[in-house]
Amino acid sequence: MEALKQVLLQLRLDPAALWLIIALPLVGAFICGVFGRMLGRANVYLIACATVAGSFLLSVSAFLAVSPLESSQAVSMENAFSTSAIRYAFGYDYGTWFSTGTFRVNFGLLVDHLSGTLLLVITGVGFLIHLYSTSYMSHDEGYWRYFAYLNLFVAAMLSLVLADNLVLLFVGWEGVGMASYLLIGFWYSDTAKAWAGRKAFVTNRIGDFAFLIATFLIVLLVSAFNSQSNTANFTLVGGNPETAQVRYREGLQMKGPVAFQGLEVFANGMHGTAEKAQGGVSLETPIAEGPLKDRTFGGVLTVALLLFLLGAAGKSAQFPLYVWLPDAMAGPTPVSALIHAATMVTAGVYLFSRMSYLLVLSPTAMVTVAIIGTITSLLAALIAFAQDDIKKVLAYSTVSQLGIMFMGVGMGIFWAAVLHLVTHAFFKACLFLGAGSVMHGNADETDIKKLGGVRHEMKQTWFTFMVATLAITGIVPLSGFFSKDAIFHGIHHNHLHGYEWASGAIYYMGLLIAACTAFYMSRVYLLTFEGKRSPEAKIPHAHESDWRMTAPLWVLATLSVVALFYALPLMPGRGGVMQPVMENFLGPVFSSAERIASRGGQVALDHSIPSLFDYLKAWVVALTGGAAAAFMYLKFFPARAGQPAPAFARSVRRFTQNKFYVDEAYEFLVIRPVKNVSAILYKLVDTLLIDTVAVRGTAWVTTRVGSALRYVQTGDAQAYAAVMALALLGGAVYALIQVLK
Amino acid sequence: MSFFDTHLLNLVVYLPLLFAALVWMLPGAERGQIRTVTFIGMLVDLVFGVWAYLRFEPGGPEFQLEYRTRWLEQLGVSYHIGADGLAISLLLLTVFLGPLVVMASQTYITERVKEFHLSLLVLQTVMLGALVSLDVLLFYIFWEAMLIPMYLLVGVWGAEDRQMAAVKFFLYTLAGSLLMLVAIVALYFISSTPGNRSFDYATIYNSLVAANSQISTCMGTGDCERLTGMAGILYRWGPWLFAAFALAFAIKVPMWPVHTWLPDAHVQAPVAGSMILAGVMLKMGTFGFWRYAIPFFPSATHQLRPFLATLAVIGIVYGALMCLAQRDIKKLIAYSSVSHLGYCMLGILALTAEGATGSAYQMLNHGVSTGALFLLFGFLYERRHTRLMSDYGGIAKVVPVYTASFLIITFSSVAVPGTNGFVGEFLVLLGTFKSSLGLAFGVLATLGVILGAAYMLWMVQKVFFGPLTHRENQGLSDLSLREFATVLPFLILVLVMGLMPQPFLDRINPSTERFVTRANLGAPGSRVQASDVRISVMGLPPAGLAAVPHSPTTGPLADRR
Repeated sequence: MEALKQVLLQLRLDPAALWLIIALPLVGAFICGVFGRMLGRANVYLIACATVAGSFLLSVSAFLAVSPLESSQAVSMENAFSTSAIRYAFGYDYGTWFSTGTFRVNFGLLVDHLSGTLLLVITGVGFLIHLYSTSYMSHDEGYWRYFAYLNLFVAAMLSLVLADNLVLLFVGWEGVGMASYLLIGFWYSDTAKAWAGRKAFVTNRIGDFAFLIATFLIVLLVSAFNSQSNTANFTLVGGNPETAQVRYREGLQMKGPVAFQGLEVFANGMHGTAEKAQGGVSLETPIAEGPLKDRTFGGVLTVALLLFLLGAAGKSAQFPLYVWLPDAMAGPTPVSALIHAATMVTAGVYLFSRMSYLLVLSPTAMVTVAIIGTITSLLAALIAFAQDDIKKVLAYSTVSQLGIMFMGVGMGIFWAAVLHLVTHAFFKACLFLGAGSVMHGNADETDIKKLGGVRHEMKQTWFTFMVATLAITGIVPLSGFFSKDAIFHGIHHNHLHGYEWASGAIYYMGLLIAACTAFYMSRVYLLTFEGKRSPEAKIPHAHESDWRMTAPLWVLATLSVVALFYALPLMPGRGGVMQPVMENFLGPVFSSAERIASRGGQVALDHSIPSLFDYLKAWVVALTGGAAAAFMYLKFFPARAGQPAPAFARSVRRFTQNKFYVDEAYEFLVIRPVKNVSAILYKLVDTLLIDTVAVRGTAWVTTRVGSALRYVQTGDAQAYAAVMALALLGGAVYALIQVLK
Repeated sequence: MSFFDTHLLNLVVYLPLLFAALVWMLPGAERGQIRTVTFIGMLVDLVFGVWAYLRFEPGGPEFQLEYRTRWLEQLGVSYHIGADGLAISLLLLTVFLGPLVVMASQTYITERVKEFHLSLLVLQTVMLGALVSLDVLLFYIFWEAMLIPMYLLVGVWGAEDRQMAAVKFFLYTLAGSLLMLVAIVALYFISSTPGNRSFDYATIYNSLVAANSQISTCMGTGDCERLTGMAGILYRWGPWLFAAFALAFAIKVPMWPVHTWLPDAHVQAPVAGSMILAGVMLKMGTFGFWRYAIPFFPSATHQLRPFLATLAVIGIVYGALMCLAQRDIKKLIAYSSVSHLGYCMLGILALTAEGATGSAYQMLNHGVSTGALFLLFGFLYERRHTRLMSDYGGIAKVVPVYTASFLIITFSSVAVPGTNGFVGEFLVLLGTFKSSLGLAFGVLATLGVILGAAYMLWMVQKVFFGPLTHRENQGLSDLSLREFATVLPFLILVLVMGLMPQPFLDRINPSTERFVTRANLGAPGSRVQASDVRISVMGLPPAGLAAVPHSPTTGPLADRR
C-alpha cells in the first residue's frame, strides 16, 4: 500500500505534456481513419483502445498532480490576470492561436478539480466503451471508420474540458458535435439514420449560433469593464488594487478577453449594486461606449448567459432543442452510451459549472436555467412513459436526468450537479451498454414489448442492468440516490433573490420527476428482464455477450455503487459542519462563486447536510414510483390482457408516444416555412425579379431600342440630307429666338 | 541589390506569360507536352510566389517588393507594382491554385487543349497583375484583361449553355467596370492640377487626404456646403464616384442583388473556370473595396456603409436560403459563395481590426474551401455528367475516399472550429459585433452559421448518404492518384490554416490597421491625422536611367517634363 502510494506520488504529469492527452486519441483517429483498412481489424482495435488507455493514464497522472495524495504536494499555478495564484490547478499555454486588433486566443490548457474529474470520466468510461465496441462492432464492415470517429470524439471532448478559454472550448464543443454527426449517421445507407445525424448537427448549430453571440457579448463586456473599471473594483479581487488592475490588463494582453481566468477576475471585480460600488463598476452601471452603449453590465451579462443557455440546450438536449437526442439513438449503441449519455451531452452542465462565477451574478439567468431544466426533465420523463424502444426510453431518461443537472446548476448547487454528472455517466453508460448487450443477444431487438424474461439467459447483463436501474431510480445506498438527493436538497435551501418562490416550486417538481423516473425505469427493467419471454421475440433464446462486453458492465455497475462515497459528509467543512466529499473536492473550483454569493447581492447558497427525514422522503418517492410500475406491469396489465384499453387512455398514450408532437410542430413552424420562403425567394426574387426583369429586361430594352432605331438607318443619302437640313434649320431658328430675346 | 530584390514580383507576374509563349510555340496536337509545360510553369510560379510571400516582412513598410519604371509619362502613368499584406496573401492564393487547376483539368479538357492552357496562363498573369498594380490605370488594364480569358474559359470549354453564361458574365462585369473607368478618369482630373496629374495610387490617395479630412471635419460640425476647392468637389461628387467604384466591385464580389451572373457562370464553367472564378476572381471585388473604393472615399463610405452592410447581410442570409432551394449541386456551391462573400464584405464594412482581418482571412479560406468543392464536384461531373442532386444518392459506399475528402471540405465550408473557415468567420462576426454598425447586423449575419450547416449537410446527405438509388452510380470509380494528389493540398491547407492561422494573419494585420485608420478618416468628426495615413512608395526613377542610357535629347525633341 505504502509502495503504491509512493508510485502514485511520483506520477505527476508535467504541465507542458498536457497536449498529449488530446493528441493521443487524435493520432489514433488519424491512423484508424486513414490506414484502418490496411491495418486490419485487430490492429485497429489495438490502436483505438491503446490511445484512449494512454490518455486515461495521462489523465490519472494529471489528476494526481492537481489532487495529490499528500496535501503538502498540492500544486498551484500562476494566474495571468491576478496576483493571487490558482490553487489546486495547473495548466500550460502553448502560445497564440490567433490574434488581431485587441483580440487574442491562446492554445491554453488547464486542469483543475473540475476538469480533472471529467478527464477521468471521459477517458475511463471512454476506454470501457472502446473495449465494449470491439465486441459489439465485430461484425461490422466499417469498423475502422467507427473507431476513427470514436477516437476523434474522445479527442474533441478532451479539448472541451481542458480548454482554458471560451473559444478553444468551442473547438471541442463543435468537434464533439461533428463526431456525433458522423457516428449517428454511421450506418448512412439507411436514410433515416443519416437524416438523424444531420438533425443533430443542425439543432446543435442553433445552439452554437447562440454560443457565438454570447461569446461576442462577453468580449464586449470585458472590454467595457476594462475601460470603465477602477481600483474600487479591484479591491474585491484581492491584493493591492492598483497592482491587481495592472495585472488584469496584462492578462488581457497576454491571454485575451475570453480566458476563464480573466472572466473569473471580472466576475470577482463586479460589484452587485451601485451603492456598494463606491464609484467602481457595478451590475447596474450603464456601459459608456461602443455598440452596447447605455445598457447595464448586469443586463448584458444576463442576456449573454441566456444565450449560453440556448447553446447549452443544443448540446445538452434541453428544451426547446432536445429533439435531436432521441433520434440520435440511430447510432450504434456504444455511441449512445459514450456520447449521448456519459460525456458530450453533459457539456452544458460543464460549461455552467466552469462559469459558475458569472452565473451567480445573475439570478434571472439562474432561475431560467433551473426552469428550463425542470420543464425538460418533466417533459422527457412523461414521454419516456410511453416509449417501447429500449434505447428511446433511455434517451428520454438521459434528457430528463440532464434536466435535473440543469436544475441543480440553475439553483446554484454546482458540486451536486457535477457529482450527478459523474454518477449518471456511470449508471447511464451501464444501462446503455446493458441495452446494447440485450440487443446483441436478441438479434437487434429493441422493442421491450417483444423481449421479456431475458434475466435467465443473460445473467451478467441482467444483474448489472438491475444495479444501474436501482442507481438511477435512487434506491439507498446507490450513488444515484445521493447525487440526486443532494441536488434536490440544494434546490430547496438555496435562494435566488427576487425568485424566492423558485426554491420550493422546483423542489417539489423535482420530487415528482424522481417518482416518474422510478416508474419508467422500473417499467423498462420489468418488461425486458422479468416475466416470460415474449412470443414475438425474434429468436427463441437470447445468448450472453462475451467478456469484452460484460467486463465494462461490471466495472460501470461497481462504479455506480461506489461513487456514493463522494456524496457522504466525511470532510470537515465551514463552521464545523461536515461537508460531502465532492463539495469539499470541488471547493477550489467554485470558490469564486461562493465568494460572490456571500456578498449577499444575488443568491444565497446553503451548505447544510440533508437530514434523515429528507433521505426518507426521497426514498419513499422513489419506492412509490417503482412500486406503481411493478403493480401496473406485473399485475394490472397482465390481468387485463386481451381487454381493450379505454378510449381516453389510448389517446393519451398516442399523444405521449408521439412525443407530444413537438417534432411535428417544429416541422410545421420552422422547417417548412424556411424551405418555402427559400423556394419562393428563389423563384420570385432571384429568377423573376432580378434575373428576368432587371438583367434580361435591360438586355431586352437595349435590343428593342436598337431594332427600333434600325429603321432610321435607311442608307438613303437624300433622307440623311433632309434630316440634316431640318436639324440645321431648327438650330438656326432656336438661335434666332435666343438672340431676339 | 540582386536581380530578385527588384524583380521578384515581376517574375511572379510574368512567368506564366513566358510559359504561355512557350506553349504557344508547341504544336497543338502535343497535348501531353502542353499540359506538362503549363504545369511546370505554374509550379515554378508557385515557387517564386511562395518566395515572395516569405520575403514579405510583416513589420516592414506598407508596400514591399516594389518595382517602378517610367511608362506613358505623358499621361502621368508609370509602371508601378508592389504588394501589401492583403495583396501578397491573395497572390499566394492565386499561385497556389495555379498548378492544381492544371492538374484538375487533365482529363476534363479534351478539345482545344492548347488554347485552354494558353488562356489559363494568361489569366494567371493578369490576375496577379491586378493584385500587385500600384498604378490605377495599370490596375484597370489588368482588371479588364481578366475578363477575356475567363470569358473564353466559360464560353468555349463550358457546359451546354455556355454561350449565354459567358456573355452574361462578360456584359454584367463590363457594365460595372466601365462606370469605374469613368470614375477613375474623374478622379485623375479632380485629384491634381494640370501638369501634375498622375494615375499613381499613392499620389492620388495622398492628394485626396487633405480634402477627405476637411470633409470629415465639417461633417462633424454639420456644415459642409461652404467647402471649396478639391474638398468641395469631393464632397459633392465623392458619393457618386464611390458608387461607381462600388458598383464595379460589388458586381465582382458579387453582392446582392447584382449576383445573378455568378450561378450561371459557375454552373457552365469547366472545373478550372469555377475554381479560378471562386478562388481568386471574386476576391478581386473585395480587394477593390479594400484597396481603392474605401480609402479613396472614406466619407462616402461612412455615408453608404449602413446600406452596403445591409446588402452584405442580405447576401449572407439570402445566399444561404437560395442554397436550400437548389437542385443543381454547382448552383448550390455558387450560392454558398454569395453567402461567404457576404461575410467578407461585412467584415470589411465593419471597419474594425478584427472584422477586416477576418474578412481578408475569409477571402483566403473561401478560395481554399470553395475552390476545393468545385474541384471535387468536377471529378464527379466528369464521371457522371450530371449536376442534379437527385441523380446521386448513397455514393459514399462506392467512393469512400472521395466522400471523406468532400466531408472534410464541407466541414471547412461550414466553419467547424479547427478548420480554416472558423477563424475567418469568427473574426468577421466578432468584428461586426464590435463595430458601430449595430448588433442587429451581427446577429443576422450569425444566422448564416445555422443555415450554412443546413444546406451543406443537406447536399452531402442527398449526394452521399442513403441507399444507392441509381444503378449508374454503382460503377463509379474512386479518386485516382492524380485526383487525390490534387485534393490533398487543399485538405492539408484546411487544417494548417485552421490550426496555425497566425503566420498568415501576421502578414494581414499591418494592412488591416492601415486600412481601418484610412477608412476611419471619413468618420464624421474624425481625429485621424492626415500624416498618419499618407502612403509612401518608391519614387519614379530618374528619367533616362531606366529607358535611355544616353544623354537627353536637345532641341524640339527635348524632354519637356
